[in-house]
Amino acid sequence: MGQQHLAEPVTGPVTVALVEDHQVVVDGVRSWFGPPPSPVELVAEGPTIEAVQGVEADVLLLDLNLNGTMVVDRVAELCQGGQRVIVFSEHEEPETVRAVLDAGASAFIGKGRATRESCLETIMEVAADRPTVTPPMAQAIATDERPHRPQLSDKEREALLFWFQSMSKASVAARMGIKERTVRQYIDRARVKYAAAGRPAPTKEKLLICAIQDGLIQPDEVTIYTSLAADPGPR
Amino acid sequence: MTEEIEQVAQRYARYTALGAAVIAAVWHLGYDLTVTLTGWPAYRLPWLNVAAWLVYTAVFAVALRSLARESRGPARIRELAVVTLAVDVMGIVAIEPRELLGISDWAWGSIGWIGVMLVWGRPRWRRELIAILAANAAVMLAAMALTGMLDRVAISKYLVVIVGGITMQLGYTWGCHLLRTRAEDAVLLARRLAADDALRESAQRIHTDRLRRYAAIRDVAEELLQQLADGADPGDPQVRDGCTAGAMRLRRLITEREDVPDELVSALRERIEAAERRKVMVTVPPFGDYLPCLPDGVREDLLRAPVRALDGARTRARVTVSAMSTMVSVAVVADNDDLPVSAAPVREPSGVVVTYQRQGGEVWVNSIWQNPSPGR
Repeated sequence: MGQQHLAEPVTGPVTVALVEDHQVVVDGVRSWFGPPPSPVELVAEGPTIEAVQGVEADVLLLDLNLNGTMVVDRVAELCQGGQRVIVFSEHEEPETVRAVLDAGASAFIGKGRATRESCLETIMEVAADRPTVTPPMAQAIATDERPHRPQLSDKEREALLFWFQSMSKASVAARMGIKERTVRQYIDRARVKYAAAGRPAPTKEKLLICAIQDGLIQPDEVTIYTSLAADPGPR
Repeated sequence: MTEEIEQVAQRYARYTALGAAVIAAVWHLGYDLTVTLTGWPAYRLPWLNVAAWLVYTAVFAVALRSLARESRGPARIRELAVVTLAVDVMGIVAIEPRELLGISDWAWGSIGWIGVMLVWGRPRWRRELIAILAANAAVMLAAMALTGMLDRVAISKYLVVIVGGITMQLGYTWGCHLLRTRAEDAVLLARRLAADDALRESAQRIHTDRLRRYAAIRDVAEELLQQLADGADPGDPQVRDGCTAGAMRLRRLITEREDVPDELVSALRERIEAAERRKVMVTVPPFGDYLPCLPDGVREDLLRAPVRALDGARTRARVTVSAMSTMVSVAVVADNDDLPVSAAPVREPSGVVVTYQRQGGEVWVNSIWQNPSPGR
């Protein structure tokens, strides 16, 4: 844990550390990942956050309810060092999902609906620092009515709601009469806006990191960005 | 009980406001008009005095209109206060200088009551009333200085009448304000108690409902365990399905968190339970945010099509509800082969729009209601 996104882009299999207090779930997740060589490898697991601390992993998969205690308030601390955190929980209430997203979690997988494919896809997307939106996240983002909520377009909100309520992104595309790729764009764009609104970015540097994390710009474009920011032209 | 207390508080606000108007009216008709008419020869400029009386009456009417409608003084009182003080000056000019503070000098005592009516129920009533009363006292003192009536007797008379008038007017306003505040406190307390009662009652209902559902799940679990004990094969798909369905129901029961039963959610839950009794595996993400109040007929229209899809589900279904203050969306995805689907969205008279879609052996039914007037 504690590796930086920008410093170490993921190459090879994605390494995952799992914090989960039920052995049956740990075994289930391990079987989903499959034996090596697999695109995703479970490198550490334990029933508490402390049990996996110090382990280098691309993604931390975190159960929210550990031995009867909700650890929502520890998500921010875990994300602070640049660790990608995916919350894996049955507590899919929109307010809980919003709380962990605001704290910096990269994604939220609902235990109630997760499948092997959806779980692996989310882990791979997060490891590649691409925006990803699971159905519980879609509901939480679409129904956010707090004063500082991100400004989503009608299409983005519509795509999020349908994604939460339908069977697949293909069915959302059919419903909206657009291409599936466009649906994905709407949903990803909403996630980017949400991440930018949820993450405090007081400095240009922090904003830049957010933009790179959200896939808005590539790290190799940073020089151009910096030179523009440093342009002493009229404001 | 709460309504009765609220009515009492409203009556306090209304009748104390009108009480101030009654005092001003009785004073203006009983005393001001009497001295104006009976003391006609004593006035230096009797018509100016009549004009002052009429201007006072006009301001009184404006203030009364506002008190009767909203139980509070008019919105813009500055101009009305200046006109009222002008009545004071007109009254003084109309009388012989020796009559100052005498029987014919009615204006000084009456305009305080207009002040009381003007500031009634306003947030800064104390400051505003004291300013009007002080201006009235200052006008009188200036008139005394101009007419050379600043001897010991005149000053004493001035102090007695001014202090007497101010005490009555301020005292009445203060007393009524206190009465009104206490009545409002009582209303707040009653509301809080009523809310506590409602919460307790709903918590009790939820608790009873959960106990009933726990008992139902326990029966299912007992039956399954009995089957296993009697030699049922744990690898049998039917037994496994039964175990999974039981586990899902139990998990949902444990993670349910809403404290106030919503009619839409309750109606849906009933159908979900019915589907589960038919061994349909139902996934239901938590409903989360509070649902807005729905106009008549909307709930029925929102539920009709999704419930039909759920009722006809063969083995699995997913029920979702999304709510915002301006929108409610209910959806069911199920392996329902028999549900007739409409290619075009169906618009119900209540404003609910229902859409259907078939894909890969599943049907997706989604009904959405948008609040036509989100500003409310």
